[in-house]
Amino acid sequence: MSKILALVVAQWRVMVSYRTQTLLSFGGLLFTVVPLYFVAGALQPVMANAIRTEGGDAFGFLLVGTGVILVVTVALSAVPSALSSGIASGTFEALLSTPTSMPTLVTGMSAFPLVMAALRAAVLLAAGWTLGVSMALGQLPLALLILVVLVLAHFAIGLVSGAMVLAFRTAGPLSRLVLVASSLLGGVYYPTHVIPSWLQAVSAVLPLSYGLRALRRVLLQGAPFGAVSNDLLILLGETALLLLLGIATMSLAFRYARRQGTLAQY
Amino acid sequence: MEQPLIRVEGLVKSFPVPRSWAATLRHPLRGARVEVLRGVSLEVRRGEFFGLLGPNGAGKTTLFKILATLVQPESGSVEIAGIDAVRDPGAVRRVLTPVIADERSLNWRLTGAENLRLFAALYGVPTRDREGAANRLLDTIGLTEAAHRMVGTYSSGMKQRLLIARALLSRPSVLLLDEPTRSLDPVSARDFRRFLREEIAGRQGCTVMLATHDADEALELCDRLAVLHRGRLVAQGTARELAGIAGEHRYRLSVPRAQEGRALQILASHGLTTFAPLPVTDEAGWVSLAGDLPGGMPASAEVMQSLVAGGVSVGELAQVPLPLADLIERLLPQADAA
Repeated sequence: MSKILALVVAQWRVMVSYRTQTLLSFGGLLFTVVPLYFVAGALQPVMANAIRTEGGDAFGFLLVGTGVILVVTVALSAVPSALSSGIASGTFEALLSTPTSMPTLVTGMSAFPLVMAALRAAVLLAAGWTLGVSMALGQLPLALLILVVLVLAHFAIGLVSGAMVLAFRTAGPLSRLVLVASSLLGGVYYPTHVIPSWLQAVSAVLPLSYGLRALRRVLLQGAPFGAVSNDLLILLGETALLLLLGIATMSLAFRYARRQGTLAQY
Repeated sequence: MEQPLIRVEGLVKSFPVPRSWAATLRHPLRGARVEVLRGVSLEVRRGEFFGLLGPNGAGKTTLFKILATLVQPESGSVEIAGIDAVRDPGAVRRVLTPVIADERSLNWRLTGAENLRLFAALYGVPTRDREGAANRLLDTIGLTEAAHRMVGTYSSGMKQRLLIARALLSRPSVLLLDEPTRSLDPVSARDFRRFLREEIAGRQGCTVMLATHDADEALELCDRLAVLHRGRLVAQGTARELAGIAGEHRYRLSVPRAQEGRALQILASHGLTTFAPLPVTDEAGWVSLAGDLPGGMPASAEVMQSLVAGGVSVGELAQVPLPLADLIERLLPQADAA
């Protein structure tokens, strides 16, 4: 844990050394929230009926969707990006030369972007709250739990892409494919039940579909655990499977790269 | 007898040869491989400064990466302090640290002290001791004043010293240095070599393995040397032993340019026909001749007397290390015969 924390702190220091970039990464969120507020206002009459089981408020619906996709995007790309940039910059070889296990390194290298994405999503939600989105603050712990499971599910997919980076120096199309599918069919901008039936099969396998629906119910409607337990169980099952797959492929890729002599090779 | 700290036995490693698109499409599964290490065996004793000398592509870096557990060999064994490096890489990384000579492996947006504190954590230094360990090492490498400056503002020499300090955080028994003076100017390289010899090998008492293609550097720093060529160890021993193996008695003679012909005549009268002018002549009009002079000190004294008696002004008659290429050229037939 101390090693992960040290890696996170180092990345934090690097980030704050880029002052303008840091300010813009948070200040730029205003350019997301304000247009969203007006677009949601215009869409409210059209969307109200379709989203009545997920809060009924278009602004809240879009705000949660936007915040979650922001975190999910980073969860998908954190591992492959950290490995790619570590290999390209030469820092990965130095990290591998320390008596630090691969899981600790991967977690430490990718934890910081995830923490930052979560912070940005929190700022986004807080901005929405000040603009009038009604949130069940008492349900925040359950909402956080759902978010953590969602992040884990997508982090696991990122592990598969990271394994590709280790073995073949390319993340491959998996993370991008999942991101595109999740953005369009995971319920980010419209509820999944309005998707044409032949596409609902795809929507039904996406972890985001279950996580986002549960999160909106909990956060925007104050739904208790029992009301979202079905979605949460499916999400947990998918997450467990994806984590197994991600850890297995990462472990295989590590051994393959060590055999091939390409572990830290640019 | 004391067990060697590093024992490498029959190490073999090959890498796939990059192929053209056409070849890959025709035979996707049939890839050729090139052997970069061919049955390398060597031993390094505790406290030794051991040099691995070889030209580019000899297999030095691959051997180092195997020792550092970053690459797995196909066959052969590697033991570091009695630990099998293939079976227990994690334990090896606690006693052996490679100095990654690439400056980019430092975090340029962090200060020197921050870089060291990060790696102190990764090497398992307790939180309360990290600051002290980083400060002590910054002092050792003479970077205390620059400790709180971003590494991006450091010179190459400062970065190289910081890379060494980073590796020393783990208090390693073995330090691997892969061409550490590659990017340094001659003055910085000289200072850095002195630092390695006096501080790292001397005061810190590290066992050091140095890979280099600079024969002068290896001979200056190392207690013992191994010469690697195309994945094969062609010789190993002390600098004196290697010179003996190579039959090396190379001397440089400096005489006035006007007396060059006379000097060559006298040398030839002693049977020394390999002497020839070196391409560089100094401004004062002196020329340096280099060649083989067997027989050690007595023979060189005799030649010196003949030259002086023959009216040749001798500026210098000194033994010089054989250039790496010549050394390998001489060692190869003997290695083949062995």
